[in-house]
Formats: sequence, structure tokens, C-alpha cells
Amino acid sequence: MNFTGLLELNAKKSDHRSIVNSYYEGALKITRPIYLEEKTPSIYLIHIGGGYVDGDTYYSKLKVEEGAELLVTSQASTKVYQTPKVPVEQHTEIELAKNSTLEYIMDPLIMYKGARFIQKTSVNMGEGASLFYSDIITPGWAENGKGFQYDWIRSKLKVKKNNKLVLFDHLWVEPDGEIQGIMQLEGYTHLGTFIIIHGKADKTFTDQLYEELVPFSGETRFGISTLTAGGVVIRILANGSRKIEELISQAHRFARNTLLGKEQVYWRK
Amino acid sequence: MTNPLVPLLQLSDSNFPSGAFSHSFGFETYIQENVISDKDSFAQALIVFLQKQLVFTDGLAFKLAYEAIEEVMFSEVLELDHILYTNGVAKETREGNRRIGEQMAKLAISLYPSPVLERYLECIQNKEGYGHTAVVFAAVFHHLQISKTIALETYLFSTISSMVQNGVRGIPIGQSEGQKILVSIQPYLKSSIEKIIRLSKEDLGAGIPGLEIAQMHHERLHVRLFMS
Repeated sequence: MNFTGLLELNAKKSDHRSIVNSYYEGALKITRPIYLEEKTPSIYLIHIGGGYVDGDTYYSKLKVEEGAELLVTSQASTKVYQTPKVPVEQHTEIELAKNSTLEYIMDPLIMYKGARFIQKTSVNMGEGASLFYSDIITPGWAENGKGFQYDWIRSKLKVKKNNKLVLFDHLWVEPDGEIQGIMQLEGYTHLGTFIIIHGKADKTFTDQLYEELVPFSGETRFGISTLTAGGVVIRILANGSRKIEELISQAHRFARNTLLGKEQVYWRK
Repeated sequence: MTNPLVPLLQLSDSNFPSGAFSHSFGFETYIQENVISDKDSFAQALIVFLQKQLVFTDGLAFKLAYEAIEEVMFSEVLELDHILYTNGVAKETREGNRRIGEQMAKLAISLYPSPVLERYLECIQNKEGYGHTAVVFAAVFHHLQISKTIALETYLFSTISSMVQNGVRGIPIGQSEGQKILVSIQPYLKSSIEKIIRLSKEDLGAGIPGLEIAQMHHERLHVRLFMS
């Protein structure tokens, strides 16, 4: 199949640090690895062109080999424009070998008028592997100044650990008359998710993380809970990306520090 | 053979001891925040809960489980069980569903035993599965040869009915107001069932963020009447 953009990334341990091999074609591209930290490469994903349009298909495959570490982010937000005929689809497959770490922290996704977007991400983790994952969905500005002009977004994240399903997160946001009502976006416009999968991310860790986040949570509504197999899910509602990004960045900082023994990431963007 | 109406009535009775009476699935958060405070706000929330949550989780899972049992695909039944459990991002709701599922499976096997249900309970007990009422009800109703649509309607009604009973106690509202909600929700149940029939496995587990956050908040409420 021909994709609008195809990307393959492979990180492996070599001597004292992790190194990255990559292959890409079409509209997806990456920067050369930057070592913000001594041992861990950072990769910035780039979309060549203005954004995702009708019928686009994207496929990415990321593999982090045993004991390797990788940081992945995007260079800018991802924009999805109207899809009159065929929704945009983006599939991402992530393989995390034993004791590997992936931090996958994306910029917000902006859904413009008439946009339909299907995002499917599957992660397969080996023993001792860790994952930090973020996702932000925002409505794009429309000419008439009204929000929520996009048609819908469906986002599925499946995480398996040792081939056993540990998380099946499925969001379907379809703006209708009640989108801002109870149980849906509850008066807010932007939605953020931060997920941690880590053996030591238990209830105690979750409670500490909650206390850390409360001081930064003004003007948001957020929830946090523990996963049975070791992990945390944070869901955030707000009226702008910045508040969500701040909370996610605080959660990321605390989790890095507590679970990985590392300092905060300062992305160069 | 008993009158087929009897097991339907029995299993959909809100007094049926499944443990559902101690779970609000996030509604208690809204009650404490005064977002749900009377009959109308409760009825409105129940409609959203039905249309945007139950349809894609319990309802669709029930249909898929029933079809998998029809086709003798037990591995598919077990996969649904795993999806349902890992689909819950709020711990109390996830564990609540699991406990009610396990409790229902144990009770149902003593009332209406069948090979599928036996195998499912075995899986729950040896930790190959978790337990969910959608699977238990599908196994029981399929075994009793109750048609898929009637069974689905009964299952959804019984879920809503036990939520209404919890609302009656938790908000509180009057018993007769609760019964009025069960009448006014009928057209929504009908359209929800029509929708579930059209949905596929691709749609399974689609959730709504506000509700998930309310379910997560419940863990941190100081005074609680319900376990979720």
C-alpha cells in the first residue's frame, strides 16, 4: 500500500548510548537525532506540507530494542483539514523490547472544520519496558469564529505487555449539540491525555503525582487513576492547549524523576 | 422448561444481588458537585450515559459476545472480556465492573448453568479472564434461547434500572420519580438498540472523557455512598 507518509524508526543500544536508524518516505520526515541527554537520542517528527488532508494515510513503526531509550516529539502541531471524501488515517505501531524506554510526547492535534481523523496506535511492551505517551486534541479556528467545526476524531490506543492487553483506550469525540455537556467535554474545548506504563507506577505513585499536579491544575478539570498492570492515565479538559501542555509537562517531569531517575526534558523547538 | 419471561424478569430485577447497587459509575461525583440534583438533571445524565457510553461498551459488547457464543468462538468471548476490562481507565469503575461480572457469573451458574458460562467462570477463577456482566448475560440469554434483540433490550434496561435505583437513594429522588424516568427513557433505549445492531467491533469501547474524569474523581471524594 502507498502511504502519504511512512516512517520507520529503530533505536538500539550501542556502547554507552542509544542510537537511531530511520527510514522515511512521502510526507513524513524526521530531524537528525539530537542528544539533549548524554545517552538518549531525541527525534523530532516533521510533516512536510501544511497538514493532513482528505484521504491521507500515515504509517509509522517505532522499535526500541532491549535496554535502549528514545525520546520522540513533533516539531509543531499536527493540523487536520477538511476531509469531504475520506477520513485521514494514521497508524502507529510501537515495539518496546525488554527494559527499553520510549517517551512519545506529541504537540497538539488541531482539527479544522469538516475534519475526520482516525488514529490507531498499538504498543507491544516487553518485561521492564516503560512508556510515556501524550495526546492533545484541539478544535481549529473556523472563519465564523465558532468552535467545534470538525466532524469527529476517533483515537484508539492499545497497549500490550508480554502480549497481554493492559490498556484499550478508545476516544470518540464527535461534536454535536451536547459536546460541551455533562460527561462529554463539560464546558471545555480541549482534551489531553497522558499515559504512563511503568512497573513502579502504582497507587502510591499516582497519589503523589496527583498532589504534584494540583497546584498547576487551575482552569482545567483533570482526572487521574492507576492501571492494574502498573501505570497511570491522566485525562485533562481545558480551554486551551497551553494549560494542558503545562500539566502534561509537570506530570512528565515528576514521572521521569521518580520512575526513571532523570531530570526534566527541555525540548529545543 | 420454565416460561422464558421468568428468567428475563428475574435477571433484570434491580433487587437481583449482582452488587450493582453499590456502584454509581461516576454519578456520585456529579451528585456531590450538584450537577445531578433532581429528577430532570438525573434523567438527562442517564440519557447521555446510555447513548454515549453504554451503547459502545456494555451494549455493543453484549451483542458481540452473544454472536461469538452463537458461532462457538470462545476465544472471541475472552477477547471481549479483556477489552472491556482494559477499557476502563478509572480504577474503581474497572474493578466495579469486574466484581459485578464475577458475582453475576457465580450466581448465574447456580441458576441457569451452561457450558459457555462454566468455561467463562473457570477463566475468571484462574485469572485468564476478568468478568463482565455483558458476557454473563449473553451466555445466559443465549443458553435460554432468548433472541438477541430481546436479550439486549433486557440487559440494557436492567443496567439503567439499577442506575435509577442508585439515583433514587443517592440524590435522593422519589421512587415514583425514578419510575417516571424508566418510562421516559424508553424511546432512547429503543434507538440505542437500533444503533448497537448497526455498530461493529471497531466501535467497541468508545468512551467520553468527562465521564471518565468524574469516575476518576470519585476515588478522591471524602464521603461516599458508593464504591465507584
